[in-house]
Amino acid sequence: MRRGQALIDTLRARPWGFAAVIAIALLIANVVARSSFATPSSWPATLATFAPFALAAMASTPQILSGAGNIDISIGPLLNLINIVIVAVLIPHGLGSPWVAVPIALGIGAVVGAINGVLVAGMRFQAVLATLCTLFVLEGVAQKILPNPTTGTASWLAHLGNKVGPIPGALILIVVPFLLWFALGRTAYLRTLFSVGGDDAASFSAGVNVTAVRVIAFTLGGVLAGVAGIALAAATQSGDASQAIQYTLPALAAVAIGGTSLLGGRGSLIGSVAGAAIMFLIQTLLDSLAVSDLWLQVVYGMLLLLAIVFSSMLAAPRAVKARTA
Amino acid sequence: MSTVGAEARADRAERPSLWVRLGAVQRRFQLFQIIALVALFEWGTWTVTDFATKQSVYSMLVTASFLGLAGAGQTIVVLVGGIDFSIPAFISLGAILMSELTGSHGWAFVPALLVIMAFALVLGAVNGYVSHRFRVPPLVVTLGMASVITGGLLVWTHGQQTGSPPTFLGRLSSVNGTTLGIGIPPVVVIWAVVAIVLGVVLRRTLAGRHVYATGSNPVAAELALVRTRRVWVGAFAASALLAALLGVLIAGYAGAGGTTLGDPYLFEGLAAVIVGGTAFGARGDYWRTVLGALVLTVLSTVLVGKGYSSADQQIIFGILILVVVAGYGRELRLRDRI
Repeated sequence: MRRGQALIDTLRARPWGFAAVIAIALLIANVVARSSFATPSSWPATLATFAPFALAAMASTPQILSGAGNIDISIGPLLNLINIVIVAVLIPHGLGSPWVAVPIALGIGAVVGAINGVLVAGMRFQAVLATLCTLFVLEGVAQKILPNPTTGTASWLAHLGNKVGPIPGALILIVVPFLLWFALGRTAYLRTLFSVGGDDAASFSAGVNVTAVRVIAFTLGGVLAGVAGIALAAATQSGDASQAIQYTLPALAAVAIGGTSLLGGRGSLIGSVAGAAIMFLIQTLLDSLAVSDLWLQVVYGMLLLLAIVFSSMLAAPRAVKARTA
Repeated sequence: MSTVGAEARADRAERPSLWVRLGAVQRRFQLFQIIALVALFEWGTWTVTDFATKQSVYSMLVTASFLGLAGAGQTIVVLVGGIDFSIPAFISLGAILMSELTGSHGWAFVPALLVIMAFALVLGAVNGYVSHRFRVPPLVVTLGMASVITGGLLVWTHGQQTGSPPTFLGRLSSVNGTTLGIGIPPVVVIWAVVAIVLGVVLRRTLAGRHVYATGSNPVAAELALVRTRRVWVGAFAASALLAALLGVLIAGYAGAGGTTLGDPYLFEGLAAVIVGGTAFGARGDYWRTVLGALVLTVLSTVLVGKGYSSADQQIIFGILILVVVAGYGRELRLRDRI
């Protein structure tokens, strides 16, 4: 009993704790529903489908952490555009080598992210509006580059979509943001980001360059969207401009389910991955149980509601305390 | 050199008072939104042929009515501090239930309308209740609800919608329609009535004050005996109701229901709210959304009229919204908020 309480307290101390527990429970349910889910040979394909979504959720996280209601709804179209640039521009023009394509992908992400950051933090547009405009522009550019869906591949993309040596390629892509995050944790930046997200006026008074911190947060999100674009290219080896917004809102939902406060200052990358895993595993579970296509959306929506309510009830004492404080 | 410096100083001494006065006017009358609207309209009149004809203006008004009605519920929800991404699903709900019940199941119009309103009110209230009771972001709750509703409609119709709505619904949104003999499309009149009612309710009634109190500071509102949960439930229920009724109108306009009928209004409705100048945290009202919907409609009509491809339209649309909003819709500097 004591130990159980200690476990719950440990989980409560970490915003992502309960999301991780629900994700693990869903993973077990998946294995029970279809034993082949646990076979290592099926992992590369499953992870390749999961990676773009998980990375989209991670790419949406730093902007939300930076506070002031900041949010980036252009991540979905951005990663779709980067996928299209790789598949339909770089590869056909002989620039498909990873040494060229990867820096270009990350560069596009960084530039678009930085523009968003300057619009929001520098020019003081509301984040929803600024990134909504970016969303319109990115969708338009994607349509211009690729009016009709196409396919294109390179050997490194095929490897990333399957295996690199013994390791599923998608796993490598998912780990990249964590390495970046860990490296930033060695600098003052992450701590400053959380302080700005928690209370921007206090941080400003303490001498923090709030604008710079926020521009960097948006740029970081853009770079991660670049990684997500590579993951999407690896998973699909095709491009389709009409798919621009498929990841936008689910990625934000994943961030919220992962315990990150949409008000900023509290949350984590691992929570976003756990949140994305919950949403992804609900879908695979429904697939395995052969739920009819018609019912799929109903059950998915209900489970999504249950997951967010359940994880917030488990974390409840914190919410009550915050309310009276 | 010195005279330039003196002039600059004189300028600086004069400017604050002018800006302060303009700011006061802006807060009351949305001067910049109106200037932007007139400027865009003039741009269209001079560069697009037949832009200012009666036919073209009426068709813009009909389009703006749909957009403005889609932004009506969102305005209330944004004012209480939430966001509603289930509006497209409620539009589909209204459209499909109306076309199927009257077209395929032989119901009369009024009972079908009542069923739609009941569904919308209950499901919308659930949105508000769950978000508030469990302190979870409405973004996730409304996304889940949207999925449940769209899925439910697919299950009910077995994936194929066959009915068509009553024909008089189509006349409501016809550009050549008349209202009680006056030559204005009825949907525009409906929009005007909604705008007046919402404008008065938000600004002049107790319920409206509760909306602003809840949105600007929920803790203070609760201490002032505002029942914030009721306000949230009411705001989301109203949003769902308005969206479902819009769905009925759109079904008449399109001649059929469909699960993707509401999708275009997901982001454009939100854009109308924010371009109008309403912001999270109880700043704004429905009049601004009306202006926002008109600005967006005129802008996209000009872009279509100038013959841009749909890709170019989107790019220019995105950039011009920022240019327009730069005039009035920016946040305070951090150093001015301390």
